[in-house]
Amino acid sequence: MALSPFGSRSPSMTVHSPNTAIRLRATAAQNSVAGSTAAVAKPMPDGDRELTEQLNIEVRERYVKDKKVGEGTYAVVYVGHLQDDPSSRVAIKKIKVNAEYKDGLAMDAVREVKYLQELKHPNVITLHDVFSSKDQNLSLVLEFLPGGDLEMLIKDSDIHYGVADIKAWMGMLARGVWWCHENFVLHRDIKPNNLLIASDGEVKLADFGLARSFADPLFNMTHQVITRWYRPPELLYGARQYSGAVDVWSMGMVFAELLLRVPFVAGSTDLDQITKICEAFGTPTEDNWPGVSKLPYYIPTDKAQVVPLQGRDFFLRQFPTAGPVGADLLMSMCALDPRKRSTAVQCLRHNWWTMDPRPTQNQDLPRKSGGTQKMGDDLTRRGGELDEGMFKNAARQLDFGMK
Amino acid sequence: MIEDDIYRASSQYRLWSYTESSLQSLRATTNAVASERVRAALRRSRETHQSTASSAGTPQSETSAENKIKDANDIECLTPEEELVLVRYYCEKTLELGETYKPPMPTMVRATAIQYLRRFYLTNSPMTYHPKSIMACALFVATKTDNYYMSLRQFAEGIPGETTAEDVIAPEFLLMQGLRFTFDVRHPFRGLEGGVMELQAIAEGQGQPAPHLPHETAEDLQQGLLSIAPPPVPSSSMADRIARAHTKTRELLKSAAQMTDAYFLYTPSQIWLSAFLLADRPLAEFLLDVKLGGPVTATIPPPEIDDNGLVNPLYEIRSKLHRVLSECSALLQSYTPLSSDPVQMKNLKRIAKKLYHCQNPEKVNISAARKRESARPSPAIQSDAGPVTSESESERLAKKRKLEQEEAARQSDDVFGGELVTQRTKH
Repeated sequence: MALSPFGSRSPSMTVHSPNTAIRLRATAAQNSVAGSTAAVAKPMPDGDRELTEQLNIEVRERYVKDKKVGEGTYAVVYVGHLQDDPSSRVAIKKIKVNAEYKDGLAMDAVREVKYLQELKHPNVITLHDVFSSKDQNLSLVLEFLPGGDLEMLIKDSDIHYGVADIKAWMGMLARGVWWCHENFVLHRDIKPNNLLIASDGEVKLADFGLARSFADPLFNMTHQVITRWYRPPELLYGARQYSGAVDVWSMGMVFAELLLRVPFVAGSTDLDQITKICEAFGTPTEDNWPGVSKLPYYIPTDKAQVVPLQGRDFFLRQFPTAGPVGADLLMSMCALDPRKRSTAVQCLRHNWWTMDPRPTQNQDLPRKSGGTQKMGDDLTRRGGELDEGMFKNAARQLDFGMK
Repeated sequence: MIEDDIYRASSQYRLWSYTESSLQSLRATTNAVASERVRAALRRSRETHQSTASSAGTPQSETSAENKIKDANDIECLTPEEELVLVRYYCEKTLELGETYKPPMPTMVRATAIQYLRRFYLTNSPMTYHPKSIMACALFVATKTDNYYMSLRQFAEGIPGETTAEDVIAPEFLLMQGLRFTFDVRHPFRGLEGGVMELQAIAEGQGQPAPHLPHETAEDLQQGLLSIAPPPVPSSSMADRIARAHTKTRELLKSAAQMTDAYFLYTPSQIWLSAFLLADRPLAEFLLDVKLGGPVTATIPPPEIDDNGLVNPLYEIRSKLHRVLSECSALLQSYTPLSSDPVQMKNLKRIAKKLYHCQNPEKVNISAARKRESARPSPAIQSDAGPVTSESESERLAKKRKLEQEEAARQSDDVFGGELVTQRTKH
């Protein structure tokens, strides 16, 4: 069955996070001995450091930075290795302290650390460790992903790939998203350049700077998330309560883009985005989406302008390479009404995965060099940004659903 | 893959779950290490004072606590139990602090902050870092991690008393380090909401049978619910009864579950089910019956044995669950708020007074320590260059601390527990 979230562990995971819980206890026990003798023998040794400070230093000294591979306004990314294993590779993302932001650790970093600590899965970037440096900068030790990202492969016309490759990539994406949702985490920024590729070809969901937990009834959330081209209609209409369906829409957009090799619905403004969605998939109305007209930014469409909801034949015509079953899966991800859209687990249960052609094996997937640099760029970017820079920061004006 | 596996992948399970004995030994270790440090620090402080006094040739003021101490080894440090009482008190204060904001902070944010405090004090001692200086930071960090965004300035303004934004944010890194950079807290609230929704659906005749009990219909479930034993407090309807049980359980989860070791010892679902049992036992038992079948009581001992002579696994699960839930219920029931109990309050005041004499003088000013730390050379190249705290700084800190204590004493209605200090100065 396609639903196997724990496929084989990726061999690219060269670094094993130690069992920190056990370590904490063990170090605590050692320390009681060392601490007491040190305090008697030396009046002011390094034993002055608290237990957790010592642990932090231990973690920090476990890694060596080798080379800077990316720098943005938010973070610097280095390639590094384990002190005691020069052949290992890790990415170290050092969060910059923003001089203008006086409120302590920035929200992007808080979210990224919070959720990556919880999400261990072959299709989610692994957070090996977190440590702080002397100047109180936070460093995230992440899985080294030298294969670049899906955007790079989509855009490179020298790279040829087929539906079996798309099936493999989409399967890995769907499993990663499923795992997030199973843990009550919304990613809220799924797009090709957040889908990084490991040395063995495994696709990894990265950049959790806009993620949040969900499924707490009645809690409002911000609708200003997800990079525009991948943002679902309910968020464009200003919905404050939503579900994993938002990520599924983004997955659908990635699927379409993999098939077409260009973004399927590329609006230049939020309004343009909703217009283009209506043109492509049909106009949301109370008939096809009960309750839609009550959403804050819903714009009623003139009766004459209403585009009827697109059916299966539309998807088959637009995406012939997907085949009828693939088109059916894509259609289920692109339902306008989020309640009618497939959930991540429903996507995984679709029979497209098990029919021919079978997904390409990881080692046979198309790949491209220069991925380390791309990883550096991807990991320094803040969530919600389009690389084009045209609409920069549009999604950054978070209001966090306070009202 | 079942929910238990997912929970076991969480940092709450990996790093913050203990047995009673491992929890106890970790606290004992933390206490022992901190006590040694306090004694060493006070000894240094005393030596500094003496050398200052002899070089200046004038007698020192006898008001400073350190000066009265003849031998640092005589200093009575807090016991792990006393530390725990103190931390619990500041957890109660955190709940109150969240209440003072307009609108009050969501329960979830406050509960997260409380668990941060409890986690932090597993490896840190109140003798090193006074909970008073950590609690506001814990609440602020919780607003960030639980998506209840407010600016630091706005947050600091909401705190009664003289707390500045810098006071709030100064221990942030210290706190995050103590939390081992894990910010996710799995609360029992979401599970409770789910359970209540399920009971409501059953009451309305829309219940779904458990997957392994497919023979049950929505009507069976509804009839079953209507025929359970009466509630502890009479209610007008089943909907009313469920609502009451819901409210009472929430109260327990907001108080007893936060202030005891429940989160360290039990899973979120065990906690809410235990609280639900305390709120309305027949209703909670019914829900368990629906999920797992067959009640477990002392009067019905024979487990179902199938044709192969195997015990029904559900029966085993139910028995095990029954035992765990009883233990957890007992823990929750053991809780009484400190502030409502004169005996406990008296004990708390004694502890606060004791802490005044065994507070690590070098860690009092977190903000200054933070600046010192960033200016400090890396451990690799650090030599034995002697005490980090200079004589004058040690003096300054002692004075500053005294002023702070006096200031706190003046604010006796302060949520930070000013009254404790007032009591102390009377002695």
